[in-house]
Amino acid sequence: MVHRHIDDELLVLQRLLFEMANLVDEQMANAIDALLRRDLELAAQVRARDDEVDAYELKIDRQCERILALHHPVAAELRMIITAVKVNTDLERIGDHCKNLAKHTPHVVQAPEALAQTRIEEMADASRAMLRQVQEAFLKRDRLLARQVLAQDLQIDRLHRENFEQLVRFGQQHPEHIEAVAHLITASKALERISDHAKNIAESVVFLIEGVDIRHRKLREPQAQEGDQHS
Amino acid sequence: MADHVSPAEGVPTTAYSELHRDREAQRMRPKMEVRNLYFWYGDKLALKDISLQILPNEVTAFIGPSGCGKSTLLRCLNRMNELIPNTRLEGTVLLDGRDIYRAMDPVVVRRRVGMVFQKPNPFPKSIYQNVAWGARINGYRGDMDELVERCLRLAALWDEVKDRLHDNAYGLSGGQQQRLCIARALAVEPEVLLMDEPASALDPIATAKLEETILELKKSYTIVIVTHNMHQASRISDTTAFFYMGELIEMNRTDELFTRPREKRTEDYITGRFG
Repeated sequence: MVHRHIDDELLVLQRLLFEMANLVDEQMANAIDALLRRDLELAAQVRARDDEVDAYELKIDRQCERILALHHPVAAELRMIITAVKVNTDLERIGDHCKNLAKHTPHVVQAPEALAQTRIEEMADASRAMLRQVQEAFLKRDRLLARQVLAQDLQIDRLHRENFEQLVRFGQQHPEHIEAVAHLITASKALERISDHAKNIAESVVFLIEGVDIRHRKLREPQAQEGDQHS
Repeated sequence: MADHVSPAEGVPTTAYSELHRDREAQRMRPKMEVRNLYFWYGDKLALKDISLQILPNEVTAFIGPSGCGKSTLLRCLNRMNELIPNTRLEGTVLLDGRDIYRAMDPVVVRRRVGMVFQKPNPFPKSIYQNVAWGARINGYRGDMDELVERCLRLAALWDEVKDRLHDNAYGLSGGQQQRLCIARALAVEPEVLLMDEPASALDPIATAKLEETILELKKSYTIVIVTHNMHQASRISDTTAFFYMGELIEMNRTDELFTRPREKRTEDYITGRFG
């Protein structure tokens, strides 16, 4: 086999993506920890480290641009670049949501009884599990695991709806905690958005491996949908 | 036809869609077809059981590593291979459904299926004479000045040479010489143009100009191009065929072949893993 410079460049890209994914995972773990344990110091740390996530976003975009300009990738390598650009954006957004969770923490600590009404802990665990699984699917090029991640998004959406209803009821009964309730609803929404991004990454991983775009099912041709069902 | 024109907008309705359907049906009928083609240089089998279709008004690219048979196949499409001694062919090549080896005169085949070579090869004559020559020996009786201008315009060369038509063609740049060879090939009014690495001796600017010319020409002609340059194949062709060791490995719409190749050997070749 011929040694190709593009192989080295793709390895650098892959390494950057995994480093970024690990950092985002750590940010998420800390943001959830800070929220649930009411740890303001940890929350501040999460906010401060968001710049590191953003720095990775710039590096990965630069590396993709470099590979496109210098190596003109095609086929699976082109799909890798397209996937990297999308995953990069999704990871950066997850990083932003972690920062937002950390921002809400000081407001939530003032009303722990509001937090106790919610299933945010369960939701956080499920969202983080999705993120970790999709990372593994990407690393191992495991399309079945990626497809399993897609299915989990529904559960998170359901938990968010429950949190919302529960918190609205609690707010009506305890208007003195309305500010904490508002922050908790936003925190729940942030977790729901994180799971959406994990789902996006799973779709990108399926595209990377299978070369099939599984997004926006209703808009696709019937033939493509049949193909999906068989795969 | 006029009955079907919508009075409100002046746009043909039923007739237009029928015409469109006819055109589509016509378009999908292959201009050329290769069936179970084998070709030997002496004892060496160079092409093995090749079957493919070339659609009209499209650019079809043949790609593959050196020695894969792509240029050999190109030459089989207008019987140029017959000029090489000690070769043998089995199988069928059809032009508009007619067998070019069994039912057509080779001179007629080569007039209808023209060729442009890797290295520009103008005659040591004037620019005008280069274009007019082929038409003249084919007995062209029309207005020669008009034909020369039309062919030079089609080859995107007219503006650059219109004031020096009687200068020697050797004074042109490599890119201009190659476009002159295209104009010369067009002068005998072919239906298919075969191009064997036509840009390999050209710089990037001349290559870009040639590619623009090819895209313009496909409106009127069917083009088959052999190229080593994968990016050129992906830029200008509608369909790409990948050959390896005398076999057709994969043929597909170009955007599919370069994004989702079905065969691993195709993927390995287009990504530069072997060649």
